[in-house]
Amino acid sequence: MTIPDAKEKWTGLVNAVTIGATKEEGGTRGRTVTIGGANGIPFLGFDGQTPHPPAIALDVLDQPPTEWPQPLAETYQDVWSDPAAWARRVKELGADMVNLRLVGTHPDEGDRSPEEAAETVRAVLEAVDLPLIIWGCDVPEKDQAVMPKVAEAAQGENCLLGAALETEYRTLAAAAQAYKHKLISLAPCDINKSKQVNILISDTGFPLTDIVIYPTTASLGYGLEYVYSILERGRLAALSGDRLMAQPVILDVGYEAWRAKEARAADGDAEAWGPIAQRGPAWEAITATTLLQGGADLLVMRHPDAMAAVRNIIKQLVNT
Amino acid sequence: MIVFSERINGMYRDVRAAIPEQNKQVIHELLELQLAGGADVIDINIGPSKGDPLENFVWLAQTVHEVTDKPLSIDSAKADLLVKVIPQVREALPDTKLVINSCTAAPAYMDKLIPIAAQCNTGIIGLTMDQEGVPGNVEKRVECGATFLMAALEAGLLPDDIYLDPITLPINAAFKQQENVIEGIRQLAMINDPAPHFIIGLSNVSTKCLLNKLLNRTFLVMCLTAGLDAAILDADDQELMDAMITAEVLLGKHLYSDEYVKAWKMQKGLQLVS
Repeated sequence: MTIPDAKEKWTGLVNAVTIGATKEEGGTRGRTVTIGGANGIPFLGFDGQTPHPPAIALDVLDQPPTEWPQPLAETYQDVWSDPAAWARRVKELGADMVNLRLVGTHPDEGDRSPEEAAETVRAVLEAVDLPLIIWGCDVPEKDQAVMPKVAEAAQGENCLLGAALETEYRTLAAAAQAYKHKLISLAPCDINKSKQVNILISDTGFPLTDIVIYPTTASLGYGLEYVYSILERGRLAALSGDRLMAQPVILDVGYEAWRAKEARAADGDAEAWGPIAQRGPAWEAITATTLLQGGADLLVMRHPDAMAAVRNIIKQLVNT
Repeated sequence: MIVFSERINGMYRDVRAAIPEQNKQVIHELLELQLAGGADVIDINIGPSKGDPLENFVWLAQTVHEVTDKPLSIDSAKADLLVKVIPQVREALPDTKLVINSCTAAPAYMDKLIPIAAQCNTGIIGLTMDQEGVPGNVEKRVECGATFLMAALEAGLLPDDIYLDPITLPINAAFKQQENVIEGIRQLAMINDPAPHFIIGLSNVSTKCLLNKLLNRTFLVMCLTAGLDAAILDADDQELMDAMITAEVLLGKHLYSDEYVKAWKMQKGLQLVS
């Protein structure tokens, strides 16, 4: 009598998504980055493979940040007035991709115009040959004007554009489809909404296989576990064959981790916590590595020490 | 849930007439509706159609195969006919998965059909009854189900190829039996790990009843809760399919989304009708 294999047989896997386009592919990137493709529980080698290790992007803003704590300031202050220079810095630091945030287009910030935003995108594309992620300012009326211009400026480069929401997806999906970019689908900490947003995007004709899911992110101490549980359920859905949840996941670790007072508090303010030079990056690194275990494919980070620590962990996890 | 479509059955006048006439169009049109509704396996039954049963079965199988390469469930109460039909259909359609519908737990039946299933690598539906006839209680269903399951496993069939059917009777003829089907599924689901599949011929619960569709979709939902994971039904009955999908979402088999029926159809690659 045949004894059936007791190992879980997954019927699905996480989609692989490639970002960036080389000259042969119609772009000007030095290389492309492929994320996703896992066919088992994160990093359990006996359960499946991780064909593409999680990739790391570093943040570049289109205007100087005003409240970055000291460890970030000392890393980027000399370049943060010029997105192109900032992009060169993140390439030097070893990022796989540039995560460009058009915060300056926000009406209450610089209220930069769509044309100015497109200029910034062109400048960054010219400055470095890393694949590019581009986010708007989160104000729908403004993003509807900015993102199509940006998508057009970046056409051919196969960027990752963020983000489509349940209530606001048509303009961005159309722009991503017209100019052949990938698309981030956003549903804040709500896995059922996440699935619904993917349905809505797919309704517009945009391929499910060109989507990256963003469930939002929460740092250590501020909701990490909740995000972890969403990631876990999402990965299990993908492995169980749900094609509406099979998309790879992006997480905004840098932004969230550096919001925490544990990461930001200056050395004088919290002696018992230890020096910020280690504390801040550690908060970011732990947020990242914990969430990786739930199932994430692309991390947006800020501090190079945190990035190095996370790369080290990824290397060990993927080779097991 | 694995959807076996019931419509290509000679019990229906249009199918019964089409078979001896070799009228492919009738079969194809009915089949398209079943496929559009989400059928996974096509149950074919020549019924009391005129002509040579073996030839009719092969013709029907080939006709269905012209439209889809989904698995075929070969439906007949005659074991001796199945023993001949299965190898012939397999030869005519070597890449198509077949399911024998059905065998009972009577030794005479099992001795004929289980070896064929093993030889031809088919699935097999085992009715939870034996030579004593249709069981009147839960215990007999469980006993027959266990007997059939053990025999099938011993012959080398995998649980994934075995479907236990606790025999559905019409509510207007046998009123306590529906509870017994539900309880039978629940108990049989516990006797092996991994469990085999559980299937019912859904329309049997409402044969000659007035409110058939309401009875069908309600009974299906009740059985799904007990552990049913396959059914022979009318995949073109949209309300039935909606109820099935809803029950599965509520049982956690699919992740909920606001348009969960659409999500299920998208998952299957079905055409979406607004």
